[in-house]
Amino acid sequence: MGLRIELAQIRPFLGDVERNLIKHKEIVETSDSDCVVFPELSLTGYVLKDLAFELFRHSEKAVEKLADAAGGKCVVAGAIKEVRPGVLRNSAAVIINGEINYVYKFYLPTYGLFEERRYFQRGDPLKDLKVFQHAGVKFGVIICEDAWHPEPAEALALMGADLILVPAASPMRRLGKDLAIQESWEALLKAHALMNTVWMAFVNTVGSQEEEFFWGGSMVVSPLGEVKLRLKIFEEDRAVYALDMDELRRARFFSSFRDHISSFHKILAEL
Amino acid sequence: MIEYVRRALAIDCEAVSRYLVERLREYFEESGAAGGVLGLSGGIDSSVVAVLLARATDNFFFLLMPSSSTPPRDIEDAMKIIKLTRAEGKYAVVPIDEHVKALADAVGVADKKIVGNIKARVRMVLLYAYAQKLGYLVVGTGDKSELMLGYFTKYGDGGVDILPIGDLYKTQVRQLGRCLGVPEEIVAKPPSPALWEGQTAEGELGIDYETIDSVLYLRYEEMRTREEIAAMLGIDVSVVDKIDSLVRRSQHKRLPPEIFRLSGRAIGSDWRYPRRYWNVRPWV
Repeated sequence: MGLRIELAQIRPFLGDVERNLIKHKEIVETSDSDCVVFPELSLTGYVLKDLAFELFRHSEKAVEKLADAAGGKCVVAGAIKEVRPGVLRNSAAVIINGEINYVYKFYLPTYGLFEERRYFQRGDPLKDLKVFQHAGVKFGVIICEDAWHPEPAEALALMGADLILVPAASPMRRLGKDLAIQESWEALLKAHALMNTVWMAFVNTVGSQEEEFFWGGSMVVSPLGEVKLRLKIFEEDRAVYALDMDELRRARFFSSFRDHISSFHKILAEL
Repeated sequence: MIEYVRRALAIDCEAVSRYLVERLREYFEESGAAGGVLGLSGGIDSSVVAVLLARATDNFFFLLMPSSSTPPRDIEDAMKIIKLTRAEGKYAVVPIDEHVKALADAVGVADKKIVGNIKARVRMVLLYAYAQKLGYLVVGTGDKSELMLGYFTKYGDGGVDILPIGDLYKTQVRQLGRCLGVPEEIVAKPPSPALWEGQTAEGELGIDYETIDSVLYLRYEEMRTREEIAAMLGIDVSVVDKIDSLVRRSQHKRLPPEIFRLSGRAIGSDWRYPRRYWNVRPWV
């Protein structure tokens, strides 16, 4: 038993949903995996600004067309979802057997170059945390910034996820002697994998959008915190990785991830 | 430059140049432009951008636009870059004195700063005319130090389509120049806009670029206080203040012109579309 996931590290064209959809369909149709994972806002591009208000309908239609093309595969694609008239969320569409579900981003960055809370409403953990199942593996999805906080991944792991997918749009910063942001992401993914004893699959955007440049470098990290698959930086790339669930099982025999002392959250809630 | 800042501003030339070349290539592709035109002065900035441009595409064109205040050595240095980039059939020399004189006479001015800015703007006009003729974009050569200080002419050398090295300080551009094979005499030459005879950036500003870059970095990227910066660099607080003042006073040069708001959704204020709005195709 296992799941073959394909990390589809693409360069979306900002605002060109039609072109992005064509690329999504090509990848899904030529993938021999069970599940194809695309980056955050992969159907629309990330640095949308006011385009978010114009593209959300196209984005939802593109998700429907992608679902039609997906067949029995699971597909996770980045999209905008209008949850109430005029209320948009930064979402991941999770397509399983042609059925569409949406997962919403909880932590919306609005510092530095980001301005997500200007355009999107955040998801509500009490309603919106979801665990899915495909090819015998349970998985959850958290979007980019959510991985910079401990709770979303922890909650999904305790709700039953064996794999956490992290579609992201991480822009390059400080390319000096090394790419600091890449090291930060690797550390974060390893920490989540180790603390929650889960597989982590990070799929980053690549290429330029406005002044920003997304660095790619998608990766799969095992429940023991080892990087098992690493895609190229600075260019489009795709690769399939077969998760070994026995590796997860063995890791959990010697893991404390099952314990969660909720009183810590009572303290946090009052800070 | 103190070791702390030197380390912070050290770049991996290979990675940075690969990145900049790739972005140039991508930019041309996405904008639908056939290539890029660049004003080659024989200085470090335009030499570095010329090499990057030539690596990104075969479709490039260099314009040499000398005036009476251009040192002959700059032309020789520009020719070295033409050789380095194998641009022998891809450049033109357009002297600008005649055009500058016509404009200065029309305005009735002889002030060296006003005439200097006319020179920079005449070059911009020529670059855009060549760009349009060739179906290319105008590739700017400004670096981060100059952009931050406002040490450029608005709608002159600041009037360009893209600024590939606009996020690299002058001292970083020198590092990049060295590893791109730009001749050492160009890398080490004191930077100068050459808008009038004898003009050098460091002479005019009264501060060397190593200090300028150190202050800019510590002040705006590490957000340290003026006193802390002066102490770290062993300089007078007034030097930090002078740089700070140049950055503040030149903010208008880094922004599009202000639009006085009237409507419910004014450009630049709350009408915020991406730069590549034109690239959005209608879709159903």
